[in-house]
Amino acid sequence: MNHEEQLIRYAANQLNESERTEFENHLSGCVDCQADLTLWASIASEINASDSAVPAPVHLTDSALEAIHAPSKLMRAFRNMTQLLRMQLLLMHNELWFGSAALMFIFLAMALLVARVEVLHFFVPMIAAGTVTLIYGSEHDPAAELTFATPISPWKILLARLTLVSAYNVFLALCATVGLLLILPPQALGELILGWLAPMTFLSALALLLSLWIGTSNALFISYTLWAAQYLALTSIGEWFAFLTPWLESYRQFWNDPALLFILGFALIVFALWSTGREQVQWRRSVAI
Amino acid sequence: MRADLALPWQTQANMTQPVDDLDLIRRMQAGDDDAVRDLYAQYGQRLYAYALRLTDDPATAEDVTQNTLVTAWRTARNFRADGRLIAWLLGIVHHTAMKAIRNRTNYLDDVAEESIHEDQPSPEEQAQVKDERRWVRQGMQSLSPEHRAVLELIFYQELTLNEVAQVLDVPLGTVKSRLSYARDHLRGVLTRTEER
Repeated sequence: MNHEEQLIRYAANQLNESERTEFENHLSGCVDCQADLTLWASIASEINASDSAVPAPVHLTDSALEAIHAPSKLMRAFRNMTQLLRMQLLLMHNELWFGSAALMFIFLAMALLVARVEVLHFFVPMIAAGTVTLIYGSEHDPAAELTFATPISPWKILLARLTLVSAYNVFLALCATVGLLLILPPQALGELILGWLAPMTFLSALALLLSLWIGTSNALFISYTLWAAQYLALTSIGEWFAFLTPWLESYRQFWNDPALLFILGFALIVFALWSTGREQVQWRRSVAI
Repeated sequence: MRADLALPWQTQANMTQPVDDLDLIRRMQAGDDDAVRDLYAQYGQRLYAYALRLTDDPATAEDVTQNTLVTAWRTARNFRADGRLIAWLLGIVHHTAMKAIRNRTNYLDDVAEESIHEDQPSPEEQAQVKDERRWVRQGMQSLSPEHRAVLELIFYQELTLNEVAQVLDVPLGTVKSRLSYARDHLRGVLTRTEER
């Protein structure tokens, strides 16, 4: 160990008894080490004096314990999410829930009576699309002013409402599909669900986006027309329209392509969520006028 | 060695350790809130002093110390009994403080060091210009947090050179070279002060 290191350890009281005695013997005869020791002693003295002069704040343990026991970010996010869903559930029209349940029951009864699965496949997406056009905007929201004035982002509010309504629609459709098992074997359940799930997603997303941009009535008209168009039989209308038959066939294939419908549906939902900012700006302008 | 520059350990009682470190860790692992209070009562002054030395700002030092307690609580299971608890805690303070400093990036650099010496002292300060503590304080402030850290850990926290290397997460050679740099730097400050 060189003298420099020993000197530091001596100044910091890190030498044992014999090392200290030995170093003090060296120190008494070494002018350089004495000069350095003076420097280190000044440094040690200043550090000790200044550190001891500033007492540690007494409140730190309380704030640390508060931080320790604070809920985690994930838990806070979950709490906020459930609170938002609960709040939006209270603000939405009650008729939505009863109306869609009643329609679903009627169309299930029709499907069972005529023993045709297609009845349900046709009406389930339409019921879902109809309900999502009623969930957002000054046209239908009884608490629109409150919604727009709240610090929660409009897109979060729309997403919360869309989640609630979509979950309810899927639940109703699942119940109706199970009801169809009265006339069909249980093995058909998966195929039945796939029959309505993807078209329901796309049609609902389209109707939602259109309702935000051009209003509920227009959105319903356009989305229902687009949905029903695939069931057109052009040859029955007249031979003039027969040339459109290949196009119509492609159009039908589009509605039977689950992957494409899901991708486009989610894209439209993202676009609809983005559109909420535009709706809020329009409302603010109308209030300003 | 001058009589008025006695080493701190020659004039003060050493820091005692009445609380068992391992017991503190076990209690924190078991979720005992009082362990945090006992830990702070035992080491709070040293942790805060080190945080303040590194950050040079009381508010940031408070945040760093509080975050250190929270981190110690959450990572108590990672404490290895082969080292001292204070070295482990100071390592957390160091890491937390350096992160805070990086975010702030306003510690004194060489330019700032020059500005310290160019400051016009008040008449009262001029009278004290030869005061040893004043130039040491000035010199310490003009060092980087990494160099201040080494001096603080050795002379106030009473850590060995190996423990300092462990806290700073650098090789032992780096600790020694930082000490040499700090000594030369402070000697230079002293020389400039005496020339005025």
